[in-house]
Amino acid sequence: MPCPHAIPDLKATPLLRLRAHPLRIALIGNPNVGKSVVFGRLTGRYATVSNYPGTTVTITKGRAMVGAEMCDVIDTPGVNALEGVLSEDERITREMLVDGGAEMVVQIADARNLRRALLLTSQLADFKRPMILVLNMLDEARARGVDIDSEALAECLGIPVIEAVATEGRGMSELRAALPVAAIPRAARDAGIDHLHWADGTAARFRTIGTVTLGRFQEWLGRAVRQPLTGLPILALVLYVTYLFVGVLGAQTLVGALENVVFGGYINPAATALTAHIPIAVARDFLTGQYGLITMGLTYSIAIVLPVVTTFFLVFGFFEDSGYIPRLAIFADRLFRSMGLNGKAVLPMVLGLGCDTMATMTTRILGTPKERLIAITLIALGVPCSAQLATIMGILGGISVWALLTLFAVVLMQMVIVGFLAARALPGDRSDFILELPPIRMPRLRNLLTKTGLRVKWYLGEAVPLFLIGTALLFLMDRLGALAWLTSAARPIVTGALGLPSDAAQVFVMGFLRRDYGAAGLFTMAHDGSLTGLQAVVALTVMTLFVPCVANLLMIIKERGLRVGVAILTFVTIVAISTGTVLNTILRVLHVTF
Amino acid sequence: MSRSKPQTRPAKPEPELRTLASLAPGTSGRVVRITRDLTGRAERLAALGISAGAAIRVLQTFPGIVFECDQTELAVERAVARAIMVQVADNSSAWEVT
Repeated sequence: MPCPHAIPDLKATPLLRLRAHPLRIALIGNPNVGKSVVFGRLTGRYATVSNYPGTTVTITKGRAMVGAEMCDVIDTPGVNALEGVLSEDERITREMLVDGGAEMVVQIADARNLRRALLLTSQLADFKRPMILVLNMLDEARARGVDIDSEALAECLGIPVIEAVATEGRGMSELRAALPVAAIPRAARDAGIDHLHWADGTAARFRTIGTVTLGRFQEWLGRAVRQPLTGLPILALVLYVTYLFVGVLGAQTLVGALENVVFGGYINPAATALTAHIPIAVARDFLTGQYGLITMGLTYSIAIVLPVVTTFFLVFGFFEDSGYIPRLAIFADRLFRSMGLNGKAVLPMVLGLGCDTMATMTTRILGTPKERLIAITLIALGVPCSAQLATIMGILGGISVWALLTLFAVVLMQMVIVGFLAARALPGDRSDFILELPPIRMPRLRNLLTKTGLRVKWYLGEAVPLFLIGTALLFLMDRLGALAWLTSAARPIVTGALGLPSDAAQVFVMGFLRRDYGAAGLFTMAHDGSLTGLQAVVALTVMTLFVPCVANLLMIIKERGLRVGVAILTFVTIVAISTGTVLNTILRVLHVTF
Repeated sequence: MSRSKPQTRPAKPEPELRTLASLAPGTSGRVVRITRDLTGRAERLAALGISAGAAIRVLQTFPGIVFECDQTELAVERAVARAIMVQVADNSSAWEVT
């Protein structure tokens, strides 16, 4: 391990200094090199860690003690370049360097890719901030036969170079110790050549590549998942396992246990018995009536959606960390290109299965405004979020596999049609499909559990209150007669065009607050037997295509402006209702009952 | 000045340049240049390490082109691969793809 004394020409600056504000240290580096892991190690705060480029799309701040000094540590989205044509992420990072938001830079590098890292080092050097270079994932680099003479490299650059395996905490104390001696690196500008040649030459001087000792199985798997002959069966298997875990274990077994036993058997009867003592009828109904906070709000959010969300986040996190998801882009590229996107859009789309709101933010990794607009629209239109997906599986899985496949086929078809038309109707271009594939890894259980735990916590904090507010709103509308009015006003569409029971209107109101809330409403309707198989398919298809939830709509407005938000909302509603109408008509003409 | 020096005629024919899109899986070689017919494409590729001199190896050509460069696997579409001019290594197991 190299240590700061490998840099003889540097004078240690005193650790304790009076500052107007804490020293701001930015973690900067290529995508997927482990910036968020180092961030977590330094600050003790968890920033989402996954194995694909583009996990971090916003700037996260945390505090770290370095010696006796408190510093602000800033986690940034990955960047490949800081000059030339920049993506939205890269602009954010660049601005931070320019306006002085970052006073010191810790560059995190993937030790396997010294050349690329140095290209960035050289560009960073132009911003004249004291720097440290961390060669992360040294274990994986060694397994691939890459060996770096980091002491000599440190001497050449004139900055501390730290060898690290951040996931295991290795190199972190060395990093802390080196912070006071960070320096402005000598790079291309000092050598009087361009960044590229400098990086080429420097990498070649300090790196040797020997024999590869990478696990054979890992190598085989990495190949198998991207080749069509093996990759497509693997994809089918992945979907099937997800279905078993989320659709069967989560949506059927766990939901059954919670809904029927815990809530149906204990909580709701107990709550009803307790509230029976409340003399005011309205207050009683508000808690345990048809639209009661406990009998509806809590039951829906905790008993129906929570188990499903938890199981989904577990499976999803596993695939996120394995490095599998970006490989799907290879298969999707051709189709996506006809939709004005490129294979890279697979990332936000698949992430939408976790949460559409997050996915809307992840579209920042796409290259052009046109791509972002199309991707945001398609996510709002057709990508069901985890909770909704699971209620869909829970309802339709109980009816027949064909019902499930019909829904997915219709939704996918709509997305392709809309994408195809948008690609031609909207101005602008798509960007080149160039995607870095992360290495295939065995996910770390600890990261998986932390991530799932945080996501569940986020769900509880964000969704459950909305469920309760929604329930209160429904209760109020019911009391004021607004619900009856809405139900009768929507009857021509709900009963006439879509062929659903008129009660379904209120489910769509709920669906606007949160899609999964609406889906949970359909779930109970299906369980009560008030929906036929055909009605369930039509209702869920409309719900899937229907308006994004409030949170997602707000995110769209934040990212793309009010006009775009309203336009997407209107468009999606029209597509949803007309698709439902056509589907209903066709299914009835063909006498499909599922 | 001697006329015998064959300056105008190279002793050996220069090995031909191929586009990355035309190479078969298993072929390795070095990037010679990136055709600059689209703004920003060469810079994007350079930022990922694909620039003149980079050693590459083709891993897969269907449904997308996947190749290895500097310990990294990259997937690109055909149009991008056509802009990457490669000098095929002699010992490479290249064969013609039509």
